Amino acid sequence: MEHHHPTPDIWRLFRIWAGIGLQSFGGGASTTFLIRRAFTDKGGWITAEEMQQLWNLCVFTPGINLVALCILIGKRLGGATGVVLSLIGFLVPSATITCLLTAGFTIVEGIPAIQAMLRGVVPATGGVMLLVGLGFARPLAITTYKEGRVKLLLSAAVVAGCFVAIVVFKIAVVFVVLGAALLGILFFTPRRLAIPLEETKGEDHD
Amino acid sequence: MINPFVYFLLFLKASLFSTGGFSNLPSLHQDLLANGWAKEGYFGQSIAIGQISPGPNGLWVICLGYLSYGYLGAALALLAITLPALLVLAVSAGYNRIEQQAWVQGLMRGVSLAVCGILLTVVWSILHQPNTDWKGWLIAAGAAGLGITGKVHLLIILALAAGVGLLLYW
Repeated sequence: MEHHHPTPDIWRLFRIWAGIGLQSFGGGASTTFLIRRAFTDKGGWITAEEMQQLWNLCVFTPGINLVALCILIGKRLGGATGVVLSLIGFLVPSATITCLLTAGFTIVEGIPAIQAMLRGVVPATGGVMLLVGLGFARPLAITTYKEGRVKLLLSAAVVAGCFVAIVVFKIAVVFVVLGAALLGILFFTPRRLAIPLEETKGEDHD
Repeated sequence: MINPFVYFLLFLKASLFSTGGFSNLPSLHQDLLANGWAKEGYFGQSIAIGQISPGPNGLWVICLGYLSYGYLGAALALLAITLPALLVLAVSAGYNRIEQQAWVQGLMRGVSLAVCGILLTVVWSILHQPNTDWKGWLIAAGAAGLGITGKVHLLIILALAAGVGLLLYW
């Protein structure tokens, strides 16, 4: 049985989240790494298994998963105050810098050299975004592959259908997501109730 | 001309029906353009600046808020991406009950597939920017090729792309 270190005081919590927010460049993977390092490896306040459980909850939540994780960790370590301070620490400094960068950009935007650089950077972010999409698709494809060719084709059809519905038919994204959720219930609800992988379900959260 | 309340609600809606930092883009793209509150070019610029600046990827919305509606827009955007995440507290309370339901697994699969399709539309809208030509598509392919190796840091890829842009378009 593993004993947790006492929880950090909430100002420390705030500083840790501010540090994570300011140090995470280039997306989810680096941020997740920083969070694990701060709270599991260094702090020892949250075990690796607990972190995985918290993350599973975030995947169910709308919006940015990392923000949801910030909320859960804040609540676990500092209650309601912890939630507020963690959120402010994580988002306000990094959002302020993002905002100032954008403001700076609008000042230099007209310079031809900047426009030329932008014409290179914008399509490159498109390429990077394609990789983000592939990252999402990979685990799904692996799971579905095991379920047979029909399911794999159905999945590809749902993905393509969403793309066409939005780009060609300009259907509101909200309805596309709801439609895909319905199709998911129709096509992918397991016949037998499959018990999820985790065996460690005894402990209650909170 | 922008109605701040409606503007906020559009951002909130986009965030509520998204998962991950980018899947709110198509919804914002549809709504802001329909109202004439943003230009096509803002979206590519926002994603690019969002990649360069610190914080979670989803903060690209802050850039979009600033470009379309100044500091107020940025603040409203920040609020709109924060509020839906608070639902995790409700999820956390009810998770054990709903996770057992077989249909929840089907539903989550459907939503995940939608997210893949939505991310493809994000790629599409970025590469469909007004001044992206076939050379831009090559740059995108090059960036994806470098990125997929996993050995080149994102900021280096973007710096290289900026250099290529200077060479080709200046």
